Amino acid sequence: MNIEEYISSGILEAYVLGELSEQERIDVEKNLVQYSQLREELQAIEETQEQLLMSAAIKPRIQVKDSLFQKIDQQKPEAKVVPLIPEHDTGSNIWRYVTAASIIIALVSSYLAYDYHSKWKHTENSLTELIAQNQRVAKDYNVVNQRLDKIENDIKIIDNPAFQRVIMKGTDNAPEAMAYVYWNASSKEVYLSIQSMKELSKDNQYQLWAIIDGKPVDAGVFDGNVAGLLKMKAIGTGAAAFAVTVEPRGGKLTPSLETMQVMGNVKS
Amino acid sequence: MISKLRAKDRSVLEYLYDHYSSALYGVIFRILKKEEIAEEVLQDVFMKIWDRFESYDATKGKLFTWMVNIARNQAIDKTRSKEISKNSKTNTIEKSVHKIDNKDFVEQRIEEIGVKDILRNLTDDQKFVVEQLYFQGYSQSELAEEFNIPLGTVKTRLRLAMQHLRNTLKVI
Repeated sequence: MNIEEYISSGILEAYVLGELSEQERIDVEKNLVQYSQLREELQAIEETQEQLLMSAAIKPRIQVKDSLFQKIDQQKPEAKVVPLIPEHDTGSNIWRYVTAASIIIALVSSYLAYDYHSKWKHTENSLTELIAQNQRVAKDYNVVNQRLDKIENDIKIIDNPAFQRVIMKGTDNAPEAMAYVYWNASSKEVYLSIQSMKELSKDNQYQLWAIIDGKPVDAGVFDGNVAGLLKMKAIGTGAAAFAVTVEPRGGKLTPSLETMQVMGNVKS
Repeated sequence: MISKLRAKDRSVLEYLYDHYSSALYGVIFRILKKEEIAEEVLQDVFMKIWDRFESYDATKGKLFTWMVNIARNQAIDKTRSKEISKNSKTNTIEKSVHKIDNKDFVEQRIEEIGVKDILRNLTDDQKFVVEQLYFQGYSQSELAEEFNIPLGTVKTRLRLAMQHLRNTLKVI
């Protein structure tokens, strides 16, 4: 069954108005048991109807209530209690009261039963909501945890005296740009930290170069909008400087020097 | 003990009356448009609620929905027995005059209590369906027949109207 189509036919609104035929009504009730989406929709429609009619309320005159309850009080003993008492048993009034009491208890308990049922329903809904909320929180927590791990790792590298920081400043091509290289000469590891580099088009990427013996050596490509430390390609010993150029996505074998963005010398 | 219980069971009905009589009376009065008759029907409705309380099944809908249906049906029954409202169906001239009268009347009542504000965002078609079904005592099939709208269209218009109202009422 296509639930969306079923709902948009307006059949639930007709059900709420009590306008369906016996067979249609039975079908709707079967479907309600089967599909929670229908139950939710029904509830929303009923609430809308209730609010609509509450806001269209007109207060009846006060005496209507009085006369209603007079009628109820009169009706109660005759209509509900007397017919159930055997005619010959007039002597024992106790049975009259016992019968009356049991009817009243039955009425009160059926009221309580529906009251508890609706409370239970409500609780069940709140529980589902809470479970969903809990799952969302757990997900968020995982994301935060992963970020924290990453930051911890970054700090270890920044804190490690074996890593030398090389500040690369913007060239004339990009005077505002700046990035750091963290380079471990013995382990040959290279990390990059972007301070300020503008985003590139989809076709291009930045490429990091190490200058070793006067020749540029590829140290990997990266995009402009990454936070935290980026692990780059390991390079050989003896880097004298680092520089970044703009290259086609994926990088090139030799740098397009005219596109150089930032550059920095390794302090000896 | 017994008197306590008796007081309590009565208090259940009293609770329902205090909370819902105005909403039910709003429906009944708009359909019948005569105070004395509407009051009489309101009392009948609460007697019925009282008598048939056991037949209410919470798994099939809210208590309010159940009570509104009793009120709406009772009021519609009354229009038929008293031949108050829509019995001019056969006479087209009378019908159109009657329609105009009704429309003015409803708009005036609706304005009084701010319903108009709530219906404001509906299209004319949607507003019409809501007014006729909820405040004029038309059934969906009667509405379809009398105004020559396919029954399916009546249903989907009410659906759209209720969706709009859901949003409007949330804001209020």
